[in-house]
Amino acid sequence: MSYQHPPAVRRVLESLVPVVCPPEAVALGLTAAIVDHVALTMSAVPPLFRRGLVLGLTTYDLAAMVWPAARGRRAHRLPPELAERWFERWERGLTPVERELTHAVGQLLKFGCYEQPAMLARLGYTPQAWIEQVTRRRLQVYGDDIRRAEAAIVAPDPLRPPVRRPRTEVG
Amino acid sequence: MVALPRPAVAQGAVPDRVFTRDTLRGDTVLDADVVIVGSGAGGATLAAELAEAGLDVVMIEEGRYWTTRDFTAQASAMTRQLYRDGGASMAIGDPPVMFQEGRAVGGSTVINGGMSWRTPERILERWRREAGLEHIEAPDMEAHFARVERRIHVRHQDPETVGRDNELLKRGADAKGWKVIPNLRNQVHCAGSNNCAFGCPTGAKQSALVSYVPRALHFGARLLSDVKVERILLHGKRAIGVAGRVVGEGERPGPRVTVRAKLVVAACGAIQTPALLARSGVRSPSGRLGHNLSLHPNVKLVATFDEPVRGWEGVHQAYQVREFEGEGLLFAAVNIPPAVIAMTSHERGAALGALMDAYDRTVIAGMLCEDTATGRVRTINGRPQAFYQLAQFDADKLVRGVALLAELLFAAGARSIITPFAGVPTLRSGDDTRLLYAHPIPRSAMEVVTVHMMGTAAMGADRTRAVTDGHGLVHDAERLMVCDASLFPTPIGVNPMETIMALATRSAAHVLDNLERFS
Repeated sequence: MSYQHPPAVRRVLESLVPVVCPPEAVALGLTAAIVDHVALTMSAVPPLFRRGLVLGLTTYDLAAMVWPAARGRRAHRLPPELAERWFERWERGLTPVERELTHAVGQLLKFGCYEQPAMLARLGYTPQAWIEQVTRRRLQVYGDDIRRAEAAIVAPDPLRPPVRRPRTEVG
Repeated sequence: MVALPRPAVAQGAVPDRVFTRDTLRGDTVLDADVVIVGSGAGGATLAAELAEAGLDVVMIEEGRYWTTRDFTAQASAMTRQLYRDGGASMAIGDPPVMFQEGRAVGGSTVINGGMSWRTPERILERWRREAGLEHIEAPDMEAHFARVERRIHVRHQDPETVGRDNELLKRGADAKGWKVIPNLRNQVHCAGSNNCAFGCPTGAKQSALVSYVPRALHFGARLLSDVKVERILLHGKRAIGVAGRVVGEGERPGPRVTVRAKLVVAACGAIQTPALLARSGVRSPSGRLGHNLSLHPNVKLVATFDEPVRGWEGVHQAYQVREFEGEGLLFAAVNIPPAVIAMTSHERGAALGALMDAYDRTVIAGMLCEDTATGRVRTINGRPQAFYQLAQFDADKLVRGVALLAELLFAAGARSIITPFAGVPTLRSGDDTRLLYAHPIPRSAMEVVTVHMMGTAAMGADRTRAVTDGHGLVHDAERLMVCDASLFPTPIGVNPMETIMALATRSAAHVLDNLERFS
């Protein structure tokens, strides 16, 4: 699974980071990392969905040129205030295509934003440390029970004898 | 039979009898008594039961073989590894419903919350009455449920692992005087790492990956992972095997795999199973294959408290609020990682930042709704596509459920609550729940997700109305069985894993009692 944004799509996504993500994401210099993460996520989604997003973002970019306020500029070249207004127009668009595109792109960017370690650190979100702590405690307190349960996984069932001799050789 | 090479992977990483794309390097043809497509709740359970009885069983899994040590709290990486389509599967409708399917050895049991509930008696009675199923009522199912519960260690949580988010949920329910019960989960001293949805990093959750799959392997079953079954091989109406391709790096199709068997079982879930049957040319005289999709629409509320909650510290869903079970509504605390909260939030920009800054003080509460509408899985170019239209009755039920859950959270001390409805302002007090009824909330404004897809190859005695018989054997076909949540004639109103496993246990007993039909 490898997907790379076409350059034009990458430019649009970079221009949308300040619109969708919190200001601190931009302040922390995470724009490129967030857009990279979107590519990673898009590598896992169905190809049809991926192609739709690429087409939709290209349309979003070009369609701005016929919006009078943009004065012929593509969406990724709009100043912040106009970029915000253009996104909002699509968010509240008359067609489901506009609304679904901004919804999906927003989801991808927000997901990518809050997967950045710097953003998670701001929240004090430290699950891995917690996992390591409780894993140790579990083994210390319940080690014997756990070993018994593991043995039971492969213990034969006395109530249901085999109808045939169990297989021992494979392949 | 073609001999398979031993896995050429690191010692201990992959057990004997598990063959992956690293070892399936050439075209492979195998013979077996039973071939099972899917290694989740249905497939793994059936495999273990039949292998223990001495049958030669081959399980085929499209996803990879991951082990406990591979599971971390990195939501993005785990989602790409363990979920089909990176978790971005969508049922088309109003609203679109995002759904998740596991795609790994162990299936969706690897990524579920571990809730283990028997099918409610009223549901089993309904199946008997409406689908004409025999020997399906609670007394008939007792032995099957008990057997499953022993295998996967169904029990209550050790009290020290209950986190603050669940304590607050219980406090709210108690304050309202509502029925709240400790959850039953398949776990051996669950540590409370709250990472269930991304694979249990301690191995405590007894998913199929660490229970039924190793049991099946121990008793001689073989498991081919990284193999996508393209079609069931048919000779007339008789299923005689399956054909597929190894899923290579980058999803590229690799060598061909053919397994010939006396019994073929589709156990790949309510979305993939009807597609597999359809693209194999299986026709149901009922015309109902792929129909009858129900999915327990699920919505989430984000409640902010003054006190630290740190919802990631403690078990996932220690309690369920059952006060409104009769209306088909269940509530639970379901902590989910920041990236997923942000993604499903309607906020953006600075407002999103403000919401997320309170993440360590939030309780995320979810609601399961027993739905009345049904959707459909269509097979388009061999791929399944789900369609589902939320019924207005169910949409109204979601609004009522959100209002009730908001009342509970305010009673627990919440300061503000964000609803799953776009356009509804943040609720600041219990009185604000009236806002939910002030104007009709359009279905398109609802953020609905699900992990419970059911019913697309439903059981029933009447071959003109159901796809399979009461044991999952496909009507009007021979030696072809379905063994997953596709079988449910109706939604069940509780988490479906144990029902799937119990039905698989029951189907295994049926096969063993009628072996002459499958020899």
